[in-house]
Amino acid sequence: MRIGLLTEGGYPYVTGEARLWCDRLVRGLGQHAFEVFALTRSAEQEQQGWTELPPQVHRVRTAPLWNADDGSGRGGSGRGGHGRGGHDSPGGGVRYGRRQRRRFAAHYGELAAAISTGAVGAVGDGSASASAEVADRFANALYGLAELARDEGGLALALRSETAVRALERACRAPGATRAAHDARVPDLLAVAAQVEQALRPLSLDWYEDEEGGLGSVDLCHAASGGCAALPGLLARHFFGVPLLVTEYGVQLRAHYLAGAGARADAPAPAAGASARALVAAFHGRLAGEVYRQAALITPGNTHARRWQEKCGAERAKLRTVYPGMAAGRFAEVGEAGADQADPGTLLWVGRIEPAKDLVGLLHAFAEVRKEEPNARLRIVGAPAHGEECDLYLAHCRALAAQLFPDEADGVHAVGDNPVSFEELGGPEAPELADAYAAGSVVVLSSVVEGFPVGLVEAMFCGRATVSTDAGAVVEVIGGTGLVVPPRNPKALADACVALLRDPERRERLGAAARARALELFTVEQNIAAFHALYLEIVSHCPVRRDVVDEDGDPLPFANPAETHVAGRWSTAPGTDGAAGPRFGQWLAARKGARGGPSWASAETGAETGAETGPEEVTEGGAEKGPEGAEGTAPVGAVAAAAVSEGEA
Amino acid sequence: MSNSPTGVGDAAPEGAAGASAPPRRKPVRRGPVDPVKALLHRHRELCARAVDPLEIAAGLEAHGVTDRTAARYRHRDVFSLAEEMYARVPRDERPSAVHAAPAAPAVRRPPRAHTLLALLPPAVGGATVAAYELTSGHGRLAALLVGGPALAVALRIALPRGPLRARGGAVPGTRAWSVFLLLYALFGDGLLSAALAGGPDAPWPPDTGALLGLALAYAPAVWCARLFAVGARRRLGQSRGLEEFAAGARPLLLAVVALYAAFAVGLLVLTGRLGGQAQPAFGAALLAVLLLLARLLTAYGFRVVPGVVLGGVCALEGFAVAAVFGARLPGCGWLAVPVETVGAGAVPVFACGAGAVVLLVAAARRLTRASAHAGVPGETG
Repeated sequence: MRIGLLTEGGYPYVTGEARLWCDRLVRGLGQHAFEVFALTRSAEQEQQGWTELPPQVHRVRTAPLWNADDGSGRGGSGRGGHGRGGHDSPGGGVRYGRRQRRRFAAHYGELAAAISTGAVGAVGDGSASASAEVADRFANALYGLAELARDEGGLALALRSETAVRALERACRAPGATRAAHDARVPDLLAVAAQVEQALRPLSLDWYEDEEGGLGSVDLCHAASGGCAALPGLLARHFFGVPLLVTEYGVQLRAHYLAGAGARADAPAPAAGASARALVAAFHGRLAGEVYRQAALITPGNTHARRWQEKCGAERAKLRTVYPGMAAGRFAEVGEAGADQADPGTLLWVGRIEPAKDLVGLLHAFAEVRKEEPNARLRIVGAPAHGEECDLYLAHCRALAAQLFPDEADGVHAVGDNPVSFEELGGPEAPELADAYAAGSVVVLSSVVEGFPVGLVEAMFCGRATVSTDAGAVVEVIGGTGLVVPPRNPKALADACVALLRDPERRERLGAAARARALELFTVEQNIAAFHALYLEIVSHCPVRRDVVDEDGDPLPFANPAETHVAGRWSTAPGTDGAAGPRFGQWLAARKGARGGPSWASAETGAETGAETGPEEVTEGGAEKGPEGAEGTAPVGAVAAAAVSEGEA
Repeated sequence: MSNSPTGVGDAAPEGAAGASAPPRRKPVRRGPVDPVKALLHRHRELCARAVDPLEIAAGLEAHGVTDRTAARYRHRDVFSLAEEMYARVPRDERPSAVHAAPAAPAVRRPPRAHTLLALLPPAVGGATVAAYELTSGHGRLAALLVGGPALAVALRIALPRGPLRARGGAVPGTRAWSVFLLLYALFGDGLLSAALAGGPDAPWPPDTGALLGLALAYAPAVWCARLFAVGARRRLGQSRGLEEFAAGARPLLLAVVALYAAFAVGLLVLTGRLGGQAQPAFGAALLAVLLLLARLLTAYGFRVVPGVVLGGVCALEGFAVAAVFGARLPGCGWLAVPVETVGAGAVPVFACGAGAVVLLVAAARRLTRASAHAGVPGETG
């Protein structure tokens, strides 16, 4: 099977997001042929060169998304020494004639109208027909622009031209535009036009050909992220009917919002006002909605991403959670040795030392632990962190530890030592990550803010009992094989730690269960197998329909039997599942509405209905839901629930 | 400080306070009646600048608010909590936020080095002319041979670091035409006069007054370009619509060009006086205006029109010279009639004047588009 892997600022380059994941995927699926279509974000990235590519990567085509002005005369940079690459430039636009300009203005006007009416939040709820109409409008305009670029050449100049700005202005002043759009001033319009131009650069690429090397010749497009990376896939689907698989470990739309909230160092020239941000956000929202609508399947990396995708209009039936895979090999020795080599009274924290990890809370919790267990020790192993803020925070934590815990010694003649030790990964005490985990008997995670907790998964691989705070995807990762407490609750954290420190048997049980769970869900093999299955599933259900031609290039009639045009059934029988899920959800929602304020118990059931549609999530569910697996009688729920109720009081 | 800067609201945070006697019932810390209000206050900046509920949701999640936290506020998930917060942001605050943000499209003050760079070509030109005037014979030739390339190098250094920087790279054609026009300003009048008189029989003197005037006019050109960039930027921030911007930018452009023309004429009159010329070199002044307009258009990304117009002006001047010499062929005496009627000095006036008018019309159309000012030609200058 030929798979077009679409990346943005990632894979074949040495520095890039999702690089490791893509590399493992490509190496793991040697039976398929990969063609990588990469969009790059910066010149520095291109200069870093490519990673070593396996032989199943047949072709790499790259195109920059970053150059603002000169589009031409810049081929061949950053090839990385590979012969099978091509560098395409979307920058050098074509100066359009009058007819093309009129066509462009019509499509761009539609696009502008679609982003200036209605908020993104309305997607999926509220006036469904109106939002569907707007989405249709956006999609038609997008494909219209793509066809124009394909027929007449690059859009770059036109997208930056006065025609575009004028169309944008007209759409913003039209009746029905949102208030933010109506308030847009000239700098806003320019900022929006610049951002849209940047986002739509993939339209001007020459990747959309039917012959060898184009996106039309692949059997399946796999976008490694949403947003711009999925745009070529969207067009391949539009032009050639190539099915699209979208994998999102972090939702692009959310990243866009967060980037917009931060300091905009790379903001386009005119200072972007609120109107500009609203319009650009609407653009990205509509784009995400269209990507989700056209994708054959969407694979979020965790439930959090999944919720965002659902919020942006992704159908539940298309969502399959595929957890990111991590290399378990280096933890195998520690994991199999069990907890006996660990120092029994040692709590371990591993991670990057930064304020979001709430080490201060951890130290306070450890003070509580020491009251109950005077022999307990805390090892804080920090990965080398950069930045002034992190250094300051580390210094602050050290000072607090020195204040809270005086140095202590075994006897009058021995030299004392602090029960809290700060170590650096790669130092003499912890040369490798696995060594660090081997030394701790309970691994603690005290984060306030967390994405996908990599450290927690590593601890699970090592078979360590864990106590973690309920942040990010922690609950979904741990799934009942460790203790979970609310964040910012040192007392609850301390209680859970003491409970585990006092009960070696329970520690061992939890550790074994955690290791089993991690090996089942978070290994690289699991990830690759899931994508392999998804590839086969997609290709068997929505294959590319190409006209079969004979040697002379004439079409062969009846080469495709009529049966191939009959829609196949999905193996997970969505007729029952997919229909029952939403209806059950509606019923639930109605019940909640009748009952008044929804409590978090009902949110829990909502999550369960969500889990129904995803076949991978067999062992899903909140940790509070109670013990599952090896943890038979442990009061996991009790600790957490008690803490929560205390917090609510 | 037990809280990290990313504050999430626990209505009643459990701290080290209750460590002494866990069984004893602690005094219940009462939260406000409306917990969302406190949350709104805590995240007021986020809410004030959010453009839709999803942005608030993303911001809340980045601050550690999960669905379970949202449950404390009687919401099903973060999204519905964010929707409530978005709806409850005071409405009268929003327009001010809307209008405050884009109002200051700052043009950074140019670094001092760039200001000094604007004085480099005038300095080199002045030195060349001074060397030429103070020496004689071979010294003059050496002064011209050294000064010419030095002036070119000075321009190569100064131009890309000022507000007249060409966006998207300079066009070679434009550069060649400009060099031709400058050479004509230096030697052309003398050659044409000599040719009309039947010569040239001996090397004719270059018009050093024009050269000095043009070199000195570089500094006001940079200054005027910056004036235009800053003025256009200010109008960009103030205007609500594209039409409004165009209406404001057009008089600005005309004023800047008129100002520069006044500068150029003044400088050339001055240098002409110094050189002892009877009549001021209006041709050179018009050439300065022409070059400014061409460079301004190039700086804003319009590279085709200046090339064509400069090429046309060159063709006109070249044709005048060729016609005068061609008139010496038998039977072609009529070729020199137009140049003889107007005089040698009027050729560059007509040619550059026509070119400047065409470019002014083009600039009035193109440089008053808002999209031309989207990039920042004047910013680093």
